[in-house]
This record gives sequence, C-alpha cells and structure tokens, in this order.
Amino acid sequence: MIEMLNYPFMQRAFAAGLIIAILAAVSGSFIVLRRYSLLSETLAHVSLVGVSIGLLIGSNPLWMAIAASLIASWMIEYLRSVHHLYSDSILAIFLSGSLALAIIIVSLAGSFNASLFSYLFGSILSVTNEDLIIMALAGTVGMALLLLFFKELYFIAFDEEVARASGIRVALLNFMLVSVIAVIIALSIRVVGTLLIGALMVIPPVAAIRFGMGFFKTMLLSIIIALVSVIIGLSASFFFSLPSGAAIVLCLLLFFIVALVINLP
Amino acid sequence: MKFSPSLFDVRDLTFTVRGNEILKSVNLTVLKGEYCAIIGPNGGGKTTLIRLLMGLDKPTSGTIKLFGVEQNKFQAWHKIGYVPQRSALIDASFPATVREVVAMGRYAIRGLFSVESDEDRRIIEESMEQMGVSDLRNRLIGHLSGGQRQRVMIARALASHPEVLIVDEPNTGVDVESQHRFYEQLRSLHTTRGISILFITHDVGVIAADISKLFFVNQTLLVSQTPQEIVRCEEISRLYGNPSHVVCHNH
Repeated sequence: MIEMLNYPFMQRAFAAGLIIAILAAVSGSFIVLRRYSLLSETLAHVSLVGVSIGLLIGSNPLWMAIAASLIASWMIEYLRSVHHLYSDSILAIFLSGSLALAIIIVSLAGSFNASLFSYLFGSILSVTNEDLIIMALAGTVGMALLLLFFKELYFIAFDEEVARASGIRVALLNFMLVSVIAVIIALSIRVVGTLLIGALMVIPPVAAIRFGMGFFKTMLLSIIIALVSVIIGLSASFFFSLPSGAAIVLCLLLFFIVALVINLP
Repeated sequence: MKFSPSLFDVRDLTFTVRGNEILKSVNLTVLKGEYCAIIGPNGGGKTTLIRLLMGLDKPTSGTIKLFGVEQNKFQAWHKIGYVPQRSALIDASFPATVREVVAMGRYAIRGLFSVESDEDRRIIEESMEQMGVSDLRNRLIGHLSGGQRQRVMIARALASHPEVLIVDEPNTGVDVESQHRFYEQLRSLHTTRGISILFITHDVGVIAADISKLFFVNQTLLVSQTPQEIVRCEEISRLYGNPSHVVCHNH
C-alpha cells in the first residue's frame, strides 16, 4: 500500500489533501457553529466561476478560483452585516447565481469539459507542483490567521453580540474568517472538487460535535476525522480509480454515521 | 462630600427606527457603587437602552459617556460585564464546557497568540467559585438548567474583572429557587466586591429593598432616588398603562 507514495502525483495529492484537511476542519468548525454551513457550498460554486474563467482565458484556474471566491465572500459578508439580509437567502442567491454564470461560461467555451470534470469532483492526477506551492503558501497564511484569532473567533461563534460588547472587532474578524474560508475552498478544488468541498468542511465538525465534548477537543477530533478521511479517500482513489473527492466524502459520511450511532440520544 | 464618578452618563438620548421613536430624550446617570434596576413595560425600550449603552446600536441623537469617556473613544470594555437576555438560549449541542465559557471573559484582555496565564486561570477559577459553578466546569453549557446557565454567564462577565455588571432580564425561564439564589449572589457581588449593578427586571417587588436607584423606561425615562416610593401601585399603573399591583416579597 505504501508503494503508492512512490508516485510523485500521489505525493503531491497527499501533501495537498493533508493541508486541506486540517484547514477545512478548523475553519469548518467555526462556520458550523455559526449555522453558516452553506457558506462553504456557496463559495465552492463561486470558485467554479473562477475555474471556468481560468480555463477560458488560459490562466491558472486556481488563481482565478481564489479571486472569485474572495470577492464573493466579501460581498456576502457585506450584504449580511451591513444590509442585514438573511444569511441563508444571500447564500442561496450566490449559489445559484454563480452556478448559472459558470454554466454559461462553460457552454460558451465548450472545449474544456474533461478538465472541468476534475474540478467538479476532484482528481489526484490534477495537483501540479505549482498548485502545491500555492496551497502551502496560502494555507500557511490562512492557518496563521485562524490560530492568531482562534479565541476571538470562538467567542464570536458562541455569542457574537457579547463578543462585540467585550471590545472584540467582530466585523473585521468576520471578514477575515470568510476570506480565509474562501481561499481554503478555492485551494481545495483540485483534490476534493467544487461540488464536494462543502462536505470536508462541514461533516468533520458535525460528527465531532455528536461526542458532546468541549470546543478544543471537538476541533481536535474534527481534524482527525478529516485527515483520516482524506488518507482513506485518496488511497481508494488510487487503487480503485475513483474520483478522489467522492471517495473522501463517502469516507466522511461513514464517520458521520458512526458518530450518530455511537451517540444515539 | 464623597465624590462618586459616573460610570454611565447619558444626555438627550434618542433612538429612532424607521420613523418610530423607541427612546426619546433620555437622560441617565449611573454612579460608581450604585445598584440600579430598570423596569418598564414590554416594548418600552429597556433592552434598547442597554444596547445603546454597550455600543451595539447607534443612537439617533444624544451623547453617551462611559467612565467619563465619549463612547466612540472608549476602549476599556472589559470594565463592563454584559449579560444579555438571550444568554440562557443556548443550543444544547454547542461544544462549550462551563470552563471554556467562563474563560471567554478573559479573551478581550489577553493579547494575540497569548496562552492562558496563571493569573487568567486564577481569575477564571475565582469567578466560577463566586457564582457556584465550579463543580459544573466540565459540563456542556447547553446541558445545564436555565438558572445554572445564567450563573455561568455572570461568571464569564466577572472573569473580565468588571467594575459594573449589566444584566438584561436575568430570570427569564429560571425557576423561583434559582431566582432567589441569583438575587442573593447579585447582592453579594455588590456588597463584597463593590461591583456596580444595572439590571432589567419585571420583578419590582423583590428588588425594591436593595436597589439605590430605579429607572422606569417607557419610551422616555423617569428616575427615582427612592425606589420604595416609586413602587407604589399608582405609579406602576401609570407607567405600565393598566392597573397593576405590586407585592413586595423575598421569594
């Protein structure tokens, strides 16, 4: 089994997958607790617009996905915090709107359906050295920001109003969190795919929460679930020629079911 | 004459939402060491007044000074412990232990990347001890009763070492025994730690004997230095807009 790591593309896929697993589990914990889970799904669809544009103009789709996802995340947070629109409504609008835009771009170009498939569902063959460098750099910055403001983000997730009343700069940190999540989602599309990244962010914390522990232990368990799922999913993808994203998500679902069964009310 | 600096100093405060005047020309002063209560009918603007004091809403006009400083220049928010009304409404599965919740009271004071210091730990323990929730430290906050959650929220507020505690309708959904215990603890915080208290309540009778200042809020504000006098039935009836009867009691 270990021989699969002799292949450079598998080394890259594992390195990328493990980076994404940790980032997704940590940032996902915050959005799940804030009942904002659909954010990951929405930004993933927005990333698809970036990917489509990237493929259309011949630029690295990863950069375009990051740009599209970042801009959308700021617009979503602006509409939520300044215009006080319902979060789920804003997300629904962006989700369907971005998907429509991506489909239009794809149909106009009409020539990159095969490569688009790997962005939709993830592919272990698609991670390039350049992608890995981008993931490592952006991932390090994202993780540093999450760690730097970890306790403040937790406080905001628990009680945004009291956090604000305590002098914590909630608006700024909310923008920072959605920006980091936007970048993480854009980075994840090579390995997990735009249609499935939401699961990597949401399922690990939801499964971990079922065990009724405090926040720090819950987040640790969430990271472990994400890491193990990525390892098993990528291995299954290698041995059975499955789309890596789908294999990872099925593994996550298995963890979720186990967590449900163990912690039946 | 002993000088008591003002903690809250509100002048001509008006708050309007889409043309509706929620608060009109409110003037209010809370001095250091005072034990104050705000009463008034539902929708009268009590919670709005607190939210304005805490900077959670922006006034339409008027000025607010906190500890003698203009609110927009005020930085020492840790001096104010705030416990909103909906604190008791916590998702049962939220992954936060009692200790983690109380520790949040130190977050605004600790710097970035800082780990919990010995002093932080001591203050967190002290706060839990004071509110009688030490033995619940490893329980999830969502698994506690309404009264226990309320005490945890006060402990969290105490962890920032506040000089004043603002509590919004502390006994919503709390049983009578817990209410009694809560008022005792509030009184103790005021007398032993010298913390000024400002809280919203409907339970006028039980607080009348303790408080030093009573604010009636019903769009505008009426202040009394002698709450026992204001808790007369005709005053309450006039302010609440219907015949009311006040029973002074000790639960």
